[in-house]
Amino acid sequence: MKTYDAVVIGAGSVGVPLAYRLAVRGLSVAVVEMRSSVGQGQNKAAIGGIRATHSDRAKIKIGKESLNVVRRLLPEYGLDVDYIEGGYLFPAYSEHVAAGLKSLLPVQKKFGLNIDWIEPDEVRKRCPGILSDGLLGGTFSPEDGHLSSLKMIGAFYRLARQAKVDFLFSTEVVDIEVENGKVKAVVTDQGKISCGYVVNAAGGFGRDVSLMAGADLPVYPDSHEAGVTEPVKRFFLPMVVDIAPDEQSDNYYFYQNAENQIVFCITPRPKRMGRDRRSTSEFLPMVILRMLQLYPRLRNIKVRRVWRGLYPMTPDGKPIVGFDRDVEGFFHAIGMCGQGLMLGPGLADMIALAIAEGQEDEEVFADLSPYRDFSGEELLK
Amino acid sequence: MRITQHPVLDVQEGRQVPFTFDGRPLVGLEGEMVSSALFANGIRTFSIHTVGNAPQGLFCANGQCAQCTVIIDGLPVKSCITPLREGMEIKTLVHHPELPADDEPRPSSVPEELACNVLIVGAGPSGITSAIELADLGFTVILADDKDHLGGKLVLQTHKFFGSMADCYAGTRGTDIAKILEEEARSRENITILTSSTVVGIFSDRKAGIYQDRLEKYVHVSFDGLIIATGARERSLVFPGNDLPGVFGAGAFQTLVNRDLVKSSERVLIVGCGNVGLIGAYHALQAGINVVGLVDIAPEVTGYKVHADKIKRMGVPIYLSHTILGVQGDGKVERATIAQVDDNWHPLVETAKTFAIDTVLIAVGLSSADEFYQSGLEGGFPVLKTGDADEIAEASSAMIGGRIIGRKMAVLLGSDVTIPKEWPEKQEVLKSPPGQTFERSFEMFGKGWKPMIHCYQEIPCNPCTTVCPQDSIHLSGRTGTIMDLPEFSEKCIGCGFCVLICPGLAITLTRRSKEEDLAELVVPHEFKHDYKPGDKVQLRDVDGLALGEGTVKAARYNKQHRTSLLTLVVPAELATKAVGILVQAEEITIPLPETDLSCLPDNAVVCRCERVTVGELKEFIQENEVTDINQLKQVRLAMGACGGKTCLDLVPRVMMEVGVKRENIQAATHRPLTVEVPMKALANEGGGQK
Repeated sequence: MKTYDAVVIGAGSVGVPLAYRLAVRGLSVAVVEMRSSVGQGQNKAAIGGIRATHSDRAKIKIGKESLNVVRRLLPEYGLDVDYIEGGYLFPAYSEHVAAGLKSLLPVQKKFGLNIDWIEPDEVRKRCPGILSDGLLGGTFSPEDGHLSSLKMIGAFYRLARQAKVDFLFSTEVVDIEVENGKVKAVVTDQGKISCGYVVNAAGGFGRDVSLMAGADLPVYPDSHEAGVTEPVKRFFLPMVVDIAPDEQSDNYYFYQNAENQIVFCITPRPKRMGRDRRSTSEFLPMVILRMLQLYPRLRNIKVRRVWRGLYPMTPDGKPIVGFDRDVEGFFHAIGMCGQGLMLGPGLADMIALAIAEGQEDEEVFADLSPYRDFSGEELLK
Repeated sequence: MRITQHPVLDVQEGRQVPFTFDGRPLVGLEGEMVSSALFANGIRTFSIHTVGNAPQGLFCANGQCAQCTVIIDGLPVKSCITPLREGMEIKTLVHHPELPADDEPRPSSVPEELACNVLIVGAGPSGITSAIELADLGFTVILADDKDHLGGKLVLQTHKFFGSMADCYAGTRGTDIAKILEEEARSRENITILTSSTVVGIFSDRKAGIYQDRLEKYVHVSFDGLIIATGARERSLVFPGNDLPGVFGAGAFQTLVNRDLVKSSERVLIVGCGNVGLIGAYHALQAGINVVGLVDIAPEVTGYKVHADKIKRMGVPIYLSHTILGVQGDGKVERATIAQVDDNWHPLVETAKTFAIDTVLIAVGLSSADEFYQSGLEGGFPVLKTGDADEIAEASSAMIGGRIIGRKMAVLLGSDVTIPKEWPEKQEVLKSPPGQTFERSFEMFGKGWKPMIHCYQEIPCNPCTTVCPQDSIHLSGRTGTIMDLPEFSEKCIGCGFCVLICPGLAITLTRRSKEEDLAELVVPHEFKHDYKPGDKVQLRDVDGLALGEGTVKAARYNKQHRTSLLTLVVPAELATKAVGILVQAEEITIPLPETDLSCLPDNAVVCRCERVTVGELKEFIQENEVTDINQLKQVRLAMGACGGKTCLDLVPRVMMEVGVKRENIQAATHRPLTVEVPMKALANEGGGQK
């Protein structure tokens, strides 16, 4: 088999943009993917939200960079990924939720986020028909948005192919060959690929691949279910996130995509650990009952399809990004916690720069280090 | 237009109710499907698509796609499964519908939870028979069907069934078999029948989600075992103009014509010469609809020869080794152009013919609707499939197949019941494709009646052998099954039972007349008619060739069989050759003088919901070297309301045309829901009390 400068494991939301950026920075790159085409893991399960509105500096920084990258795709490359800058709206119907959201604002503003508290009238204006009873207002970040995960990975796939990245599909990684403490090759069920760098972007299988290189990192997938409706004439733009938990679930969120369909998702409680992606009967009643209480106008819309995707979680809700300290040339880019789509485009060049030029963004690489203390807890999930 | 008289079906007087369509006052029958009410009023365009402002009309008439969506009283609904009510305000759906500002929260509730030993999805012939079998073994069964009646597609089958009388009601019409099976199922206390109940998903926690559209309700059913009897869906074809209102499946046609007695069309062209297409042509003629011809790319008829013979002698040409080049018209079907193909299936443009028509019926075969079977396997539950969901075959084989599967499920669930060994043998015969074809010639008796059995091809069918009071008709014994050809020997009393029962209308009675050179010929006639003694008729041989004239001597109507026996006086030398009479005037089948070759092949639509064309797909496949069908979702293929029910069958061929090897094609992932469900139903906002 051929020899490459770098092999990226996983043709998903993280791996494909990264492979493109590595190639742009002059490396010869192969992407190894066990499935038969790009985006067939969790990328296609992502509902499409993309935001910089997080509660910690690394993710805010990466999120902002992702948005910059995505905004340029259409004007600079002619690639339409159905990006709509509709903002993220977190409505509050209880003092507890309102206080929680407001408490994050200083940190978020400190890191340069365009986000503010909006009054009930403004919430209603942005989401006509949303429940008025008890509405206290909410936070709104107009520079966040949503896009089609399918089209986004399709766009980066095109760019990567144009940049001469090789894609090896239906190819499963079985081992990482290390010699003298240095990456030597990726061993697959189709043969061996020699390389100087390996990036683990294996998403739901991230921990398994890191173990092949001898690193035991805390990435454990849980799963969320999602759904999409028929299209209806557009009536709201933002991603609406209700963070108030009920008995069976934590937050849920929905938006109207560029095809005018409503896309929705919920976080079940307790968490469903594991990689089972079969749909359950619990999901629709769980999410629809809540959505209709918040947004009764949705009652007349029809649900079209449901699916289930993985959130490869870390203990502190932040990704694991950085070089392995024991195996030279092995790079971890895993544990995206269900945010690969919104972090992948921004991370791509940060990682490419680290690999190709040895330049690391200090804050990001410190906060997301594989060897950090994982005991912290994310404020805005 | 409505069908005001029908040879087989009773035309019932419904209550006429007023409604409006785009503000126009119209009248329909209360309770009929809105799509049928619209068709009866000559309306064929139901919506305007966002892509290219294309008009869309009825396609499946089966609740499975959403091409028939209209706005009723402010909400988008599928017209083919919505009963008409007095005063409905119906509008063309233009682009995406606007949700009404219906903003008051309402009480909602989690789904009602039902439980059973076996959930059977689909109450067609196989579903019902497996339910009966399981119920008789003591299991509790929930039999769920999306329609408001049982019987599946049997209710569209106005023709007499093939098969054996002992096992599958051969000689009885499908519509009547449906009633018999429904009664059987309803008489069993441990079968719970859920009608208007669409199973929309089989979930990994061993529950099915069921949408009850009439009640706006969503329920869960848990089960020990699962039988999938969801039948099949019609395959489609890629040709320019395939998206015009007026191109629809033969099943949709049968629904309009046979179930709802709506005269959907004036002149149809049928694509496909399997049994569905052949029977569709016959049903059209019975409904007073002209058929300009049938087209099939195969060099031979794939359906039963008796079906083909029947329609040929009635005056419908069959164009074999022909393809449809395209359908033309301004917003609706107006013309269709066909051409002969060479050995490589390339059309020979110089052979093209254009017909003036208003409808193209697609009858190019069926594919099993077995997604739930896959869900069951993924779930790891005891799951079996039966009927067309398992293997496409005649309903006769589905009935015995259902019984076998019922028992197999019983065994999976711990019963020690056995399956009689003759059941699978019988099923094997009933689902056989046509066997050998034989030459036969006939002679009249010197005196007295004799049946001429114009049955040349071995098919699983034996009713004629069981009705003869003289026991004079027997199977040849060549294979030892009911595939064998029937043969007459010995005595005939001229009762005509064999003529009446034959599903192929392939038996005549003959006897010599007193006058030299003349004979009497009795033929079956399943049409409304007013033949009087002395009327002339055009005689046709088995291949539809004109033989000359006959004279009507008598016409007797048999009420039980809803068939007339026409006694004709014919030249003696024709009596053994004539099988029937011409029904459709020859000028109907003459092509237009000008051939219309204005077809743009790249414009043919593959995904109807999202209007993805062949041209777009080919470009995307080539640019991105696509082998995984999932990638085509980027251009919206299979992302529409129906979830790829039609297009996913068509795509592999498109991919191969641009060089993708068949073995490299990766199938698309299937996800619930099978049909779209309103959120208010999922939340049971109506409390199921509506």
